[in-house]
Amino acid sequence: MRAARFFDSILKLKTSNIKLSFLRKASQAFFLLLFLFLFIQTQSKGFDTLGYPVRVFLDFDPLILATTFLAGHAVPKAMLLALATIVLTVLLGRVFCGWICPLGTLHNLVGAVPVRRKAVSAGLYRLKYYLLIVILAGSLFGLEVSGIFDPISIVIRSLTLSLYPLFNRVLMAVLAGADAVGGAGFTAGVYENLRGGVLAFNPPYYLQSAFIGLIFLAILLANLIQKRFWCRYFCPLGALLGILSRFSILGIKVSEGCTACGACAAHCQADAITDGGQGRKSSECLICFDCDDPCPSSAVGYGRLSRRAPLNLSRRGVVTSLASGVLLAPFLRLSPPVSNPLLIRPPGALPEPEFLKHCVKCGECMKVCLTGGLQPTLLEAGLEGVWTPRLVPRIGYCEYNCTLCGQVCPTGAIKRLTRAEKVEVVIGLATIDKSRCLPHSHARACIACQEVCPTSPKAVWLEEAAVKNHDGATVRLNQPHIDLQRCIGCGICEKVCPVSDRPAIYVTSLGESRSPDNQL
Amino acid sequence: MNRREFLKITAMAGAGVMLPYELQTLAAAIPPDMVIAHGALPQKVTQTAIEAMGGMKRFIDKGDIVVVKPNIGWDRTPEYAANTNPVVVATLVRLCLEAGAKKVKVFDNPVNDARRCYVQSGIADAARRAGAEVSFTDERRFKDVAINGQALKTWPLYTDILEADKIINVPIAKTHGLTKLTLGFKNWMGVMGGRRGRIHFSIDEKLVDVARVIKPTLTVLDAVHILTAGGPQGGDVRDVKTLGIVAASIDPVAVDAFGATLFGLTGGDIGYVKLGHEAGLGTMDFQKLKIKKITI
Repeated sequence: MRAARFFDSILKLKTSNIKLSFLRKASQAFFLLLFLFLFIQTQSKGFDTLGYPVRVFLDFDPLILATTFLAGHAVPKAMLLALATIVLTVLLGRVFCGWICPLGTLHNLVGAVPVRRKAVSAGLYRLKYYLLIVILAGSLFGLEVSGIFDPISIVIRSLTLSLYPLFNRVLMAVLAGADAVGGAGFTAGVYENLRGGVLAFNPPYYLQSAFIGLIFLAILLANLIQKRFWCRYFCPLGALLGILSRFSILGIKVSEGCTACGACAAHCQADAITDGGQGRKSSECLICFDCDDPCPSSAVGYGRLSRRAPLNLSRRGVVTSLASGVLLAPFLRLSPPVSNPLLIRPPGALPEPEFLKHCVKCGECMKVCLTGGLQPTLLEAGLEGVWTPRLVPRIGYCEYNCTLCGQVCPTGAIKRLTRAEKVEVVIGLATIDKSRCLPHSHARACIACQEVCPTSPKAVWLEEAAVKNHDGATVRLNQPHIDLQRCIGCGICEKVCPVSDRPAIYVTSLGESRSPDNQL
Repeated sequence: MNRREFLKITAMAGAGVMLPYELQTLAAAIPPDMVIAHGALPQKVTQTAIEAMGGMKRFIDKGDIVVVKPNIGWDRTPEYAANTNPVVVATLVRLCLEAGAKKVKVFDNPVNDARRCYVQSGIADAARRAGAEVSFTDERRFKDVAINGQALKTWPLYTDILEADKIINVPIAKTHGLTKLTLGFKNWMGVMGGRRGRIHFSIDEKLVDVARVIKPTLTVLDAVHILTAGGPQGGDVRDVKTLGIVAASIDPVAVDAFGATLFGLTGGDIGYVKLGHEAGLGTMDFQKLKIKKITI
């Protein structure tokens, strides 16, 4: 505890000179920029491995650690970094929320908009704890829904699937505008420099982009009702860290100089102020120091806590959320257990039930996918599997030698594979729709599918055939067929098939290595 | 033949009149139409082939912007012979710059992910170190070009190839399911934009149509390693045959016709070679040309 006292004295020294809220803002700016930098870095440079994927932020996320442990019964080593966040919180309080969390920082930015904010029911802060209980109880029974609500997951997913594509679209439009003024090729050099860095290498397109963007917008706009609305009332990671900082060693303290004038109350980013300003709830306090600046008697300080306010959860609320969490897993799994042909999972994905226990819907695999083929599901994997990845070969195929999705997956839902392992994994099988295939049905030479097939020998094999064309003349050409022993379902054939709307060759999940049932 | 070559040859002819015993040297001074060089080191073989063609200065003028167009179509490392040999590409880049080229551009519009193709093929790195400007194709810089061919009326082609002063085509010789072989003509797929899957119908006619628009100064066929099966993408080193050959020619049809012989075929067996010959873009009877064969 000597260390704590030492820390205490330093902070006391600092409060007199530097505004601690300024330090906090600097820290937030740093972590937001770091986050964005890592986000940009989460893309291929053409090598087999990535530099610094943005999953690092998820590695430090104790909610993901907890649910992965409870639901998946296994924890990837990197996720043990989340223990550091736990230690940090027990020691210092919710500094992760106040000083680090990129979503929290975005909340602060929107929260800075000066509007008259309405009072929200005082007890609503409990909601996030109940939500946390639902999530943890659910994960005890193998249900992984934390990713839907986890702030890091939300921000990576929303950025990947919606904001970043929008940013790309807007910037490209600006470049096109500059080209229109400056002449064709005017921005070619600029584009070349930005591409693969700030701009995506290929313009990103995602299903549900607008939908996911609207949800994110709603989460951010809630700051107009109440600052950090999401953090106060919904964030389950905030709740977990709140429980930990309920017992934290250090925290915001109010000294005896406090006159209970209440000047701080309007500035609190959370529901942490009690007793007209004389008390702080360490479970709610984000250590933002916004209550420090307006205090006329400089009574706000930081130090060792002696008295800690309880969470004040209602027994009924706890029992109800526990029961809901327990029932949620079976409830979400009432639909018949049949394989969905459209649900082509990325290579290395665990068997479906296990996959659903691990995937936190962060969308990093979709961010990093070379061809943009990994897309978020809506209901293809049931309600439980919303926003999990599936390959849509018409949008982008699975690149034969690429293993990036497994490298960025934070929870091991997609296993990390070597190149040698990856090319052996079957994610589906191609089927030829002969009625649409040009050489099969229209006496026209084609076989684009065979040309691009990456297996060796090729899974698309050719049969020379003599077919009649519309004039009755005999044409000799090659017709494609699928070798089911060699096809791995990468979908490049479907991608390049010149029959443009509904392709004449397409992949379904049939034959996927991870399933013992979905086989021929 | 440009003016400089003409003057050089007339001067030599003049000298030959004065010194009749040097007439034989004169014949040797007229550079060949095609060189087939063969040896163990791709760098040496490429350099020798170009020197025997009369040197790069025969093709490149000072200040030229040159496009060296390899095949970087696939995410394969060099041993699979799915992309042009990086050493051959780098050597050509260096020779162009030494001949006075202002800039040498190297690019392709690959089938697989461009980032992986550029890195894994070894071409981006080798060409860059040789001094080339290596860039990815930019979707916005494909321009609809009136081709007015038999099968293609218009198609988007890459600006850089249209604006280049000189073009050197550097294909690799490989098998192909539809066209039997992919050689020089087929390499123009890499400067074409749009949905290239649609090219596959009447592909030979369409490739010849594109070749009416894009006229390489020189075609250098990389047959250092050829892919004898599983092309164009390959993936099995057992399908790769090492020949150690680099063939250079001013006649794009002739060099493809020669390439066909490496697979036991003739130019007439390859649709686009035959059609290219008929369209007058060159001759598939390459044996009738002045050919120089060199073994190092």
